[in-house]
Amino acid sequence: MRCRNVLTRIDALRTNELAAGEAQEVHEHLGKCHDCEESLNDVVALARSVRSIAIKPPKSMRASLTATDRFDVVDAGGRPIFVAFSNRGLRMIHTGSSEEEFRTMYGERFGRELVRGALPERLRRQVAAAVEGEGVDRPVVDLEGSEFEQTVLGILTRIPRGEVRTYSWVAQQAGRPKAVRAVGNICARNVVPFVVPCHRVVPAGGGVGNYAFGSEVKRALLEREGVPVDELEEMAGKGIRFIGSRTTHIFCFPTCRDARRIRGDNRVAFHDEEEATKKGFRPCKRCQPAAA
Amino acid sequence: MKNSWTGGESACLDSPEDGLAVAVHRREAGAFERLVERYESSLYNYAHGILQNTFDAQEVVQDAMVRAHRALTRQYDEERCATLALRPWLFRTTRNLCLNRRRSKTRELERPLHEFDDNRLGPFVGGAHSDLERREETELLRRALSILPVEARELITLRFMEEMSYGDIAKTVGTSEAALRGKVFRSLKLLRDALEKKGVAHAV
Ligand SMILES: [Zn+2]
Ligand SMILES: [Zn+2]
Repeated sequence: MRCRNVLTRIDALRTNELAAGEAQEVHEHLGKCHDCEESLNDVVALARSVRSIAIKPPKSMRASLTATDRFDVVDAGGRPIFVAFSNRGLRMIHTGSSEEEFRTMYGERFGRELVRGALPERLRRQVAAAVEGEGVDRPVVDLEGSEFEQTVLGILTRIPRGEVRTYSWVAQQAGRPKAVRAVGNICARNVVPFVVPCHRVVPAGGGVGNYAFGSEVKRALLEREGVPVDELEEMAGKGIRFIGSRTTHIFCFPTCRDARRIRGDNRVAFHDEEEATKKGFRPCKRCQPAAA
Repeated sequence: MKNSWTGGESACLDSPEDGLAVAVHRREAGAFERLVERYESSLYNYAHGILQNTFDAQEVVQDAMVRAHRALTRQYDEERCATLALRPWLFRTTRNLCLNRRRSKTRELERPLHEFDDNRLGPFVGGAHSDLERREETELLRRALSILPVEARELITLRFMEEMSYGDIAKTVGTSEAALRGKVFRSLKLLRDALEKKGVAHAV
């Protein structure tokens, strides 16, 4: 056996991983070749040194890897709401039919098991409020997902009860105006509905759009909050997207709290931002229609 | 010193998996925790060897563990779990996640592991007597490793830190054991060269 064939085998020899015949040949060579024998000693010394530079994970990692997510059931007017949560906040909300369905769904999404636990009071209040359609200020959530996803979900929590915004507006607010479809996907994937009110995002062209629990549920949720869904659809049919006030010369999304106060002759409709600006109207600071 | 080392270095014996994958599949109490406990340090060190970044390493290991749990409990049937080589499978999962992350992060061109000469490998570290000297050596070794091509870093991490057998490394990185031996030796040569440039390796 030649030196180069021996050199590539000395490390396997070190740990007895060579076949008997091969090991025998290497041994014979080492007995005759000083350089190769020394190389073996070098490898042995190196293995020891390198072993000592292995690094250990931070202690917090084990806890987060083995953390067990818990779930509880919240009663909403006789209907069970399944809520998964961790020490850091809400992880999933579902108005499903059974515990088994919820656990399966959670496992498929996050690859983790759920055990029964008691939902902390603060989280219970937030879920109850959200399910009732009330606004939840600073929801305590523990969500996964990309930075963009987190940004979008954060923007959704700031859409007030009783108002709607468009997917393109959310994309613009999130700093990626072209990512309208991505925003739609994020809304569809939202695991904490109600708390993160994805039902308040609608297509720019009219209609309530898709919803994880179906468009009818979305429409009902919006109507319960006082969104004039029929009126909005009628406007969308005519291509009307904004409402302005002749007294203030400010224009708004039709559902903006400020826009809904505009009465009679003061009320003016716009098809787009350009039309409004041309007529000397400024975008509302509250609902920020310019970013639609 | 006449070959007194063989047999003395039985470090590479891979620990038996004792049905751990099946236990996780059956959702036995504490099984997944046992898996995490057994592999988290190794996978983290491996991911760090490739990525050279503690934050990324932690994220990758967390992702790998979530995927492992999902696969063992939901995607694989019991028979597949029973025959699964758990350790290389976990390392391979971690490896794929590391490589994806590298691809998305850097456009760094990889230097291929070049040919080596037939000279003696050469000693690596020498003459550390005090703790201070040993600390310096460790630091130099870390730095030398960090500048190696990713393939060399990976192999040195698996073979010499994780003490993985050639068989398991071959399964992890997807190559033959014969090719692997050559690559490991070339990696050692590179490490040795890097150390020499930094003045740690002493020619004897
Ligand atoms: Zn030789
Ligand atoms: Zn407004």
